[in-house]
Amino acid sequence: MPIFVVASAWLLPGGELWTHFAQTLLSDLVLSTTILLIGVGLGVSVLGTILAYLVVMVEFPGRRWLEWALFLPFAIPAYVLAFVYLGVFDYSGYVQVWMREILGLPGFDIRAGYWAITLTFILVFYPYVYMMARASFKRQKIHMIEAGKMLGASPIRVFWKISVPLARPAIAAGLLVTLMETLADFGVVSLFNYSTFTTAIYSAWGDFRSIEVAAQLASLLVLVAFFLIYFERRARGKAKYYSTDISHIRPYVASGWIGWLLFLFVFSVFMLSFAMPILQIIIWSIEVFAKEWSGKYIGFISSTAILTLSAAALTVTVATILALPSSCKNNSRVLQMLIHFSTLGYALPGSVMAVGLMYGVQNISLINEYFGGSSLNHLLFGSIALLLFAYVSRFMAIAYNSANASAEQIKPVYEQSARLLGASRFRLVWKVYLPMMTPGIMAGALLVAVDVMKELPATYLLRPFGWDTLAIRVYELSAEGLFERAAVPALMMVVFGAVLMLAFNKLDSSRL
Amino acid sequence: MFSRQLTVSAMALTTLLMGSITQIQAATDDTVTVYSSRKEHLIQPLFEQFTKDTGIEVNYLTGKGGDLIERLKLEGENTPADMFMTVDAGDLWYAGTQDIFQDVITNTIVGNIPTYLRDPDGLWTGLSVRARTLVYSTERVNSSELSTYADLADSKWKGKLCLRTSKKIYTKSLVASIIHNEGEDKAEKIVSGWVSNLAATPNAKDSHVMNAILAGQCDVGLVNTYYFGRLIEKTPDAPLKLFWANQDTTGVHVNVSGAGVTKHASNSDGAVQLLEWLSSAKAQAIYGALNKEYPANQNIASDEVVSSWGSFKKDNMNLALVGILQADAVALMQRVGYK
Amino acid sequence: MLSVSNLSISFEENQVLNGFNLELESGDIFALLGDSGSGKSCALRFIAGLDNAQDGSVNLDGMDLSNRGEHQVEPEARKIGMVFQDYALFPHMTVFQNICFGINKLSKEQKTEKVNELLQLIYLEGIEKKYPHQLSGGEQQRVSLARSLATSPKLLLLDEPFSSLDKSHRNQLVKEVRSILKKARMTSILVTHDEAEAKSFADMVGKIDKKQLHIN
Repeated sequence: MPIFVVASAWLLPGGELWTHFAQTLLSDLVLSTTILLIGVGLGVSVLGTILAYLVVMVEFPGRRWLEWALFLPFAIPAYVLAFVYLGVFDYSGYVQVWMREILGLPGFDIRAGYWAITLTFILVFYPYVYMMARASFKRQKIHMIEAGKMLGASPIRVFWKISVPLARPAIAAGLLVTLMETLADFGVVSLFNYSTFTTAIYSAWGDFRSIEVAAQLASLLVLVAFFLIYFERRARGKAKYYSTDISHIRPYVASGWIGWLLFLFVFSVFMLSFAMPILQIIIWSIEVFAKEWSGKYIGFISSTAILTLSAAALTVTVATILALPSSCKNNSRVLQMLIHFSTLGYALPGSVMAVGLMYGVQNISLINEYFGGSSLNHLLFGSIALLLFAYVSRFMAIAYNSANASAEQIKPVYEQSARLLGASRFRLVWKVYLPMMTPGIMAGALLVAVDVMKELPATYLLRPFGWDTLAIRVYELSAEGLFERAAVPALMMVVFGAVLMLAFNKLDSSRL
Repeated sequence: MFSRQLTVSAMALTTLLMGSITQIQAATDDTVTVYSSRKEHLIQPLFEQFTKDTGIEVNYLTGKGGDLIERLKLEGENTPADMFMTVDAGDLWYAGTQDIFQDVITNTIVGNIPTYLRDPDGLWTGLSVRARTLVYSTERVNSSELSTYADLADSKWKGKLCLRTSKKIYTKSLVASIIHNEGEDKAEKIVSGWVSNLAATPNAKDSHVMNAILAGQCDVGLVNTYYFGRLIEKTPDAPLKLFWANQDTTGVHVNVSGAGVTKHASNSDGAVQLLEWLSSAKAQAIYGALNKEYPANQNIASDEVVSSWGSFKKDNMNLALVGILQADAVALMQRVGYK
Repeated sequence: MLSVSNLSISFEENQVLNGFNLELESGDIFALLGDSGSGKSCALRFIAGLDNAQDGSVNLDGMDLSNRGEHQVEPEARKIGMVFQDYALFPHMTVFQNICFGINKLSKEQKTEKVNELLQLIYLEGIEKKYPHQLSGGEQQRVSLARSLATSPKLLLLDEPFSSLDKSHRNQLVKEVRSILKKARMTSILVTHDEAEAKSFADMVGKIDKKQLHIN
């Protein structure tokens, strides 16, 4: 629904502002957004795929714990990671101070250009590709790899010619999520003062007070997302890999110095994307914990937990219904289109989504009043229901992709044999499909939960009284430049997120 | 099985939540409800004191200024908010144009707050003054080299200037005031001079600007004084000082944080009482102490730390004008490539 | 008892069956031979109601299941059982739960009794608590057979049930399954491409040739 509201904005005027944007920002924005997307896209695909391949196919020192540790960065909100990186690596950060004072190197501005922000995004978002590629590599039958080995292919050739092509749909799915997140991001880009399309949306709205132009720009963003989804479907093709045979034998063993080199590589990714930022957050937290902690935190934690869990439950319920295999529902083209639409929300910045939703409610309410009903505004604004609806719209893509992936792995023969055994549709769904999809559904729920926990703009705008979350606290303190104090709620979020991620990993490995 | 339990508990949870909302909606009549873009940790102690003094409870919801204005507009007459509080004259002015305030001009307020810090029609009232001025490194800059905002465009500052992003509303308001004082053409030259003097990409925060100066990346910047106050509180020996800009001409650009009573307030009386209380000497002293800002109430002295920075001449342009010129300011900054 | 008449199946331009006819008496075990792509599996799946055809009618025990290419009765109501090449045991259920899937309306005692009886029939007593992945291929296929027999279908279809098993166990299992079906007096159709297997399994063997069925 928010998407339709946003798209309908084209009916409204916005002429002058468009001229201004066209003269000043647009060409730069298109260029900088494209560069960022390409850089981040390449980065996460390469890093995520290589890491996944290493932990699945190669035995090397430390592999066992690194395999799950690599999930953890997902628990850190992107904007938190960005402010830690700025604190540590920018001109005034320890690293550069040390480089200037000890090594005598000249200082530099890491926010200039695009490489630092690209790197930040890569380190925040690589887990998406990593987790999907990892699951896919695990499903590749060992004898395919062994056949490759027998034919004399080197590990690198097996990687390029067998593993990667087979994992392509999974990598593409992870890449899609990453690119949509990057498009929608506002926190990281504003900390780096980098301009993307989202910047123009906020400028139209915040600076020029033009909701219309903001919505028009946002609908262009949706269009981009639509193309991304289209290409992802293309990349996936018609291939369906029904397979669940898992082997725990690793085809390659890296011993000696190669093993340690691999360890060093994977370990440094983990250090940079998780351990180092967490250490910094802990140091900051300890300094100010006594000052920042108060009874209010019980409230922040409980609203975070309640919103997170209920949004996750609601989103996966809807996603599961959408993802059920086609035999359970009327699988028309229209429905397929609707499903694609419902997953587009992921590319919309949270605020745009939220405002679109508010206008949608407004219109529904007006229609209702026109037909003699009473105004619905007071019922809906500031209600949990609206906020949850916003979460569902925004994070449907993740839940749907996850549930759909597990549904696609169910061979049609299960449906056929269930039906021949006299099972009704209901029994088929309840007894066969749902249990077989459960790991995928639960994984989706956990991912949505982590994302909702990190979500800021929509929560900030739509939450009812007394529903401040940890993310809001982090924002309010860091917006005032109080990073040390912001570290306290940030740390709590990371702990909460890490617990969820570990649960995800547990489920994931029980599935595989 | 697992999934079934999950569904059942999801339903139960949703029902529970729906129940709790209806309760929140039914807030009591004498509570004052405030929407505020001033952050929670800065307003909560004030409201606590107000409740102690008057027995009136205050319920508040924080958010971004622009977001909350949209929310107020859409909620219309059903809004639970009795007061809207925000931290920039531009936002206050815009809120005024969107027909969400009612006019409140009481003797108490007129007595406490000078005219230029209030909306001409009484729609909103400034409650604290925030000065945006020059900050410089005492190690590399002599205060005699500094004079005005316009001077920062001089080529002698090439590669020595740090600025906060043009996306921040404080920057927009400052540039709006320059447009008012110097005219659009001259303002454009000044801002474009700033951009060519930048030592680094504009920073996201005032505190980053000061850190950059301390680290030697640049020598001079522009900040709101209370950010300087917080930094000095933490590291009193930092080689950093404020310089009052434009003392021989228009004076230091000041902005306000302020509030107004909403048009559809269900508790107007309570909201007016809160507004009057916030303008009182007692509340103004807390305001200043909490955030190292200048009181809007001219009858009381600034916080001790704040007064140690010296007194200065303020730019007395009416702040509603800042609001009116803000869009022009943004367009100007986008034209000259100030990010 | 089973009558299939005038079955015609084509994929786009390519016709695989044209005027396929088959009559079976109660208790008959029939094997349908054909090369791959000859349409034998399609015929079986049409009888089961799983796939569509251009033309063809199916009558089982006096009831019209399909008429002139249109399915009159949904697969779940046909009282036809089917055993698939890759067993299709539900991986999240135990052997007991798998066998009881089609007879969930029975009481707990009746289920236990039925499962024991069937496990005895397939020579696999005592495995009811195991999961499919803990069983060998041959064992899984026999459980799959038991699951189909549990619902007491009027007709059992076996779609290449032995082809994913290794040769040494296969002959043994073919004989076993035949004796189980005979004991249960089950009317059955086996689809296979292995002539020896067809002959040792069935009372009657038919071969698809030139889009039609020839019974020797």
